[in-house]
Amino acid sequence: MIKSTIKTVAAAAMMAGLALPASAADPGPTITQIQERGSLLCTSHNGSYLGFAEVDDDGKWSGFDIEMCKALATAILGNPEALQLIPVSWAQRFPALQSGDIDVIIKVTGWTMSRDTELGLQYSRPYFIGPTNILVRSDLGATTPEDLEGGVFCINAGTSIERIVADYMGARGITYEALNFEKAEELRAALYAGRCDALAGFGPFLAATRFNAPDPEGFTILDAVLALEPEGIAAREGDDGFIDVINWMMSALLMAEENGITQANVDDIRANPPSASVERLLGASPGVGERLGLSDDWAYNMIKAVGNYGEIYDRTVGEGSVYKLPRGKNHLWSNGGLLYPLVLD
Amino acid sequence: MTDASVSRPPPLLDSRLEILKKRLFSNWFDGIVTLVAGSALVWIVVSIVDWAFLNAVWSEAEASRCREVSGACWSVIEARGRLVLFGLYPSEQHWRSTLACLVIVLTMILSCLPAMWGLKRLPALWIAGFGTFVILMYGGIFGLSVVTTEQWGGLSLTVFIFAGVFVLGMPMAVGLALARRSKLPVIHWLAAVFIDTVRSLPLLTILFAAAVVVPFVVPHWAQGDKLGRVIVAFAVFYAAYQAEIIRAGIQSIPSGQEEASQALGMSYRAVVFDIILPQAFRNTLPSTINQVVITFKETSIVTIIGFFDVTASASAAVGRGEWGAYYVEIYVFVALIYFVFVFGLSRYGAYLERRTRLHHG
Repeated sequence: MIKSTIKTVAAAAMMAGLALPASAADPGPTITQIQERGSLLCTSHNGSYLGFAEVDDDGKWSGFDIEMCKALATAILGNPEALQLIPVSWAQRFPALQSGDIDVIIKVTGWTMSRDTELGLQYSRPYFIGPTNILVRSDLGATTPEDLEGGVFCINAGTSIERIVADYMGARGITYEALNFEKAEELRAALYAGRCDALAGFGPFLAATRFNAPDPEGFTILDAVLALEPEGIAAREGDDGFIDVINWMMSALLMAEENGITQANVDDIRANPPSASVERLLGASPGVGERLGLSDDWAYNMIKAVGNYGEIYDRTVGEGSVYKLPRGKNHLWSNGGLLYPLVLD
Repeated sequence: MTDASVSRPPPLLDSRLEILKKRLFSNWFDGIVTLVAGSALVWIVVSIVDWAFLNAVWSEAEASRCREVSGACWSVIEARGRLVLFGLYPSEQHWRSTLACLVIVLTMILSCLPAMWGLKRLPALWIAGFGTFVILMYGGIFGLSVVTTEQWGGLSLTVFIFAGVFVLGMPMAVGLALARRSKLPVIHWLAAVFIDTVRSLPLLTILFAAAVVVPFVVPHWAQGDKLGRVIVAFAVFYAAYQAEIIRAGIQSIPSGQEEASQALGMSYRAVVFDIILPQAFRNTLPSTINQVVITFKETSIVTIIGFFDVTASASAAVGRGEWGAYYVEIYVFVALIYFVFVFGLSRYGAYLERRTRLHHG
């Protein structure tokens, strides 16, 4: 009796203790800094990374990662233009984050244990599931990797792709011959020239390779996924408020897609919300902003500026782009993918 | 004189043919080599002309034909050439970047003219030139909108980095070379250690440290702009090499000259600037030009710390779905840009050699 009373009191005290920071709504040092500066410092590329960060004819950035930067800038500051895109190389991204040159890394950055634990990074939920796929010549009629028994694979030398292919094919007892190349241009040229039957690599790269082929219809990306790399958004460790905002930004983009909220109809839906959670998501009823230290209409602004997750995907790497990369694992869970929104209560 | 017809040389054309025949077909082996090499040369030239001109697509409007033809797709230059030249600089402000680039090129050309060589004129010219460049590129005054250095790019950035490295590095090199010859052991020793340390580090490491590591160890107010740090670091690297070239030049001058001028009561300054350095520079002109040309080409390394010089802009230019297949055309374009500058530098070097020979030879 006494024991259980103590337990109850302790539990109540813990609840109170836990509830305290939530009601205080301190957005954390990074967001405070971003708000004072009036712009988000986000990553772009030293050159271009097809589909994710590329430069248009006028020198303006576009691509999947850039759209995510815009979404985050809109969520925090209400304006997709309140964004400074800092070109950084792959090697430079982690020190640049630590030194404060950038606020956040959105740069197809795989969530690995060493980065998470040793580099002082904190990852958001994955915003893109990077598959390793196989691109094959259509005239082979192959639909699965098993059909490629004895075939020649073009592989980027010295990358993790080499190991992934060896593991996958080895586990299934499929024999193949590997042809290694150092540069992406060489890989492509070899595939186009018919020196290999298939090219294994990162899905978006394969989509670009197919698009650039002299005959794009002559090549097909197989459905089989050899390996997955979850790409996360990385911030400095120890700023929970900022990671919260990033996770809920991602969640809001997915929730919008799940509920059919698009850039075009967001105003209509906000005026006539179909459910209480949508009403809250779009800020028609309060609650979604205060708890993150943002304004209540942050998700509305964001969807108005960049659309939902599906729209961003289609526009930059999917059907609406030149790459036509299938959604695959990046579909919502309800469409056979791995992505899902969190619960908005 | 009296019998001119006898000594008159045979017609020029014939003698040339004779020489050609003698050099290329003097025996059967030479003949075969000539035929094989000649046909290879013709084949190469024909293929290049075929690719670059005969089967090429020229305008952006015709870009859809690029997939069908076997030749070059020059449409990519029309569509993406501006990106190569200007990088991420805002497109409505491109005139500023153009003007700034011209200013810096003009500054370099002017400082190449012997009339500008003076301890007062040269620094004045450089301050004016670089000041104008920064005002034009950065803006913030005279109603120009601010363009931060992250957005600088393309040709004007490449030329600015090169000019900055040279203008900072050359005086540093002279100072280091003189310090290394100093009779004071501490100065001599410090200069030697400095030069050898810098030379034993890769340029990439030095630039990476300047761009990425400095923010961790230096307080925020003392960091300066990333571009500025990178140029200074690059200049230090250049100076370490150039100092050794100058030292070689100084050592090639007989020591009697220095002793004689001291005996005449000339000041250290006069000895150095009027006797030693002019001769040292003249003697090492070929290797100095070499170093300068290498430095110009090495500026492309700044891409690794996120700067959009010509090379990085070129890779951005082909890094877009519809243009990804035409990287050769873009790289040819970039090669031409580098060629114009480097060839100009080499020609200037040749001119300087001729000029110094005339005066002193």
